[in-house]
Amino acid sequence: MNTDSRNRGRSCTLIYIVLMLLTLVTWVVGRLGLQGLPVTLSVLALALLKGQLIGDWFMGLRNVRGFWRWAILIWLAGVGVLVGVAFFFSSGLH
Amino acid sequence: MQYQSQAVAKLYFTAAIGLFAGQILFGLILGLQYVVGDFLFPEIPFNVARMVHTNLLIVWILFGFMGAAYYLVPEEAERELHSPGLAVLMFWVFLVAGALTILGYLLVPYSGLAKMTGNDLLPTMGREFLEQPTITKIGIVIVALAFLYNIGMTILSGRKTVVNLVLLIGLAGLAVLFLFAFYNPDNLVEDKLYWWWVVHLWVEGVWELILGSILAFVLIKTTGVDREVIEKWLYVIIAMTLITGIIGTGHHYYWIGTPEYWQWWGSVFSALEPIPFFMMTVFAFNMVNRRRRNHLNKVAVLWALGTAVMAFLGAGVWGFLHTLSPVNYYTHGSQITAAHGHMAFYGAYAMIVLTIISYAMPMMRGRKAANSNRSQVLEMWSFWLMTVSMVFITLFLTGAGILQVYLQRYSDTPLPFMVVQEKIALFYWMREVAGVVFLAGLVLYIASFFVGSKDPEAAVEQAASPTA
Amino acid sequence: MTRGGSLPETSRYPPGDLAVWIFILAELAVFAIFFAAYAFTRMQHVALFDQYQATLDRNAALFNTLALVTASYFVVRAVTAIREGRTASARNRLWAAVGMGGLFLLVKGMEYAHHLGEGIRLSTNAFYMFYLSLTFFHFMHVILGILVLMVLAMRTAAGHYSAQSHTDIESGASYWHMVDLVWLILFPLVYVMH
Ligand code: HEM
Ligand code: HEM
Ligand SMILES: [Fe+2]
Repeated sequence: MNTDSRNRGRSCTLIYIVLMLLTLVTWVVGRLGLQGLPVTLSVLALALLKGQLIGDWFMGLRNVRGFWRWAILIWLAGVGVLVGVAFFFSSGLH
Repeated sequence: MQYQSQAVAKLYFTAAIGLFAGQILFGLILGLQYVVGDFLFPEIPFNVARMVHTNLLIVWILFGFMGAAYYLVPEEAERELHSPGLAVLMFWVFLVAGALTILGYLLVPYSGLAKMTGNDLLPTMGREFLEQPTITKIGIVIVALAFLYNIGMTILSGRKTVVNLVLLIGLAGLAVLFLFAFYNPDNLVEDKLYWWWVVHLWVEGVWELILGSILAFVLIKTTGVDREVIEKWLYVIIAMTLITGIIGTGHHYYWIGTPEYWQWWGSVFSALEPIPFFMMTVFAFNMVNRRRRNHLNKVAVLWALGTAVMAFLGAGVWGFLHTLSPVNYYTHGSQITAAHGHMAFYGAYAMIVLTIISYAMPMMRGRKAANSNRSQVLEMWSFWLMTVSMVFITLFLTGAGILQVYLQRYSDTPLPFMVVQEKIALFYWMREVAGVVFLAGLVLYIASFFVGSKDPEAAVEQAASPTA
Repeated sequence: MTRGGSLPETSRYPPGDLAVWIFILAELAVFAIFFAAYAFTRMQHVALFDQYQATLDRNAALFNTLALVTASYFVVRAVTAIREGRTASARNRLWAAVGMGGLFLLVKGMEYAHHLGEGIRLSTNAFYMFYLSLTFFHFMHVILGILVLMVLAMRTAAGHYSAQSHTDIESGASYWHMVDLVWLILFPLVYVMH
């Protein structure tokens, strides 16, 4: 009976490693001082992606149907749009 | 009624209703003074009538809360009240102190009252809602302590339920926050800052716990839904209340001289304060729809649902309307505030007290579960009259408020305060008419205690109607 | 609730108590408003925000992000363990998560000490107002999350949970992931994006 949850455990380990790596990418972008709208929006997109990984795998929404399946995604989309729009319109306002 | 000592609640409820009537009479006087400036002058100046109106409101709600606690705590704890005698004694102390204070307001000029009661020794008077002479305030603290002791001992030595614990936390919080009424710094900014710790943290903090627990109690009793389900809701509602309401105090710190960041803190957190009120509405309807029985006291269920809806409208919707700092910049202290204050106070706290009275009073007056049909129908009429007229009072004041804000603060050629007041007098007249309807509703309400009291109890009906 | 080890079936509700999830949504709403407020206020003060963002310690934030993600991972593993009835290992993993959360608090506390030492307050400027408000509000959530995990670890050790019955752990885990999730947005937003 444990093989399935073993597998699930292994997937979560993989997700964990991906999350750590993506975090490093964000940090490197900051470190290198990369600038500009495309960079900013990519950093944001990475953050949203990480959020969705947390929601799907860590919070287990992957196995849920209906509203709750999408709850975190909806939230991330809302945050992404609001923050994205604000950064979009403030680029070049230096 | 399962325990003899629950009967002390009857005293408290009776006083509450009496003071409620007084409050409304003074409301009507105020409303008339708004349009007929010298009405009753100099016998009862506007500021005095206003003080009586609002103080009676607070006092009758407090009587209602205490009555509710004396009624539901023994039933939840499954034991008699720790000391019924103390509860009766404190009732009379509170009533006499309250009556003397109101008489003081009416018979003595306020500054004279301050002198008479030694306000110099420990100045606490002169602030809205907290106008009571210091000695009355001390009396309130003593009554509150005795009350908490009585309730606390009952709860701690009996069955511990979530309803009881939440109620106790709410009541203890009410008493503790009242202590800030004694703190009266000379600095006007600090004065206001702490004043809100009483006023805001009461109505948007600890009172909501009291509201939630009384509502939960009535719903458990009338719907027969599992206590566990109801308790879970109560937890979440309370957590949301505290998370949003405590920092939400910041919506009163926009323009009083406090640092600018309060505009952010206040706006963000108070914008979420409607959530717990909304959850309460969903909760109430959900429980009634899942009910396991049709309680014979239909009007009590009507009051419970009405409370949930009106609290959400008054506090949630009308509160949100002016809580964001850029909006409040224009609406602060206008008739919008009064519109919100009326609907929120009525919808949340007046109605929850009327709910528990409606549920408990029949049993304390010797019924098994409910009043006769005739009396329930009359009470339903009073429910609708009072509630609908309060909606109209709110709408008229909102109309007045929007015009006031526009003419006096927003337009390119702002007009002086009194000029604007003249222009919006029509709304004040209509508010007064709605107020008279409210009074009619209240009269019917009181009549419902006498009409049909000889008739047999309402009986079981076969067909279930979904809401009430 | 209990989803033993059977096929990965789908359920209508997320793991844990639904009430906790409603709570999580409400909390997320608060943070979303705060994030949007940050971004839109920044529009008015782009130069100021960029200037003072540069004074933040990005290395500390990196460390803290890794700590929180690792804590979340331990929590995930704790849930896996309890689903298989391995109580001791669930307990150890919960404590490991608590340890990681503790590291977060320590590092963040040092950052605060540094800023406060420089005389930075909420009223210093719009950037610092948001930086302090947002991170401190989150900081409080980390504290609450840690307390929850500690209680769960102790109750696991006391044998309160089993493969069949462990809703509390799933609820606490979901709450903790929410704390992590919020930080994953907060970190790039406040420390990196400009
Ligand atoms: C049952 C709950 C509530 C009651 C009884 C209540 C009552 C009141 C009262 C009486 C006032 C006027 C205070 C004064 O004399 O200045 C007031 C002001 C205010 N209330 Fe509420 N309130 C409640 C809930 C809320 C909620 C949930 C919100 C926000 C969403 C809110 C937002 C406000 C704001 C912004 C003001 C200040 C208005 C101004 O600037 O003039 N209230 N409230
Ligand atoms: C039935 C007719 C009523 C009338 C005509 C009326 C009228 C008034 C008036 C004229 C004021 C003074 C507003 C000002 O200072 O400009 C006032 C204040 C107030 N009334 Fe009433 N009232 C009525 C009923 C009620 C009820 C039922 C409640 C609550 C259950 C209530 C709660 C309050 C509160 C909380 C304030 C203070 C509001 C603030 O500070 O903004 N009133 N009322
Ligand atoms: Fe408030």
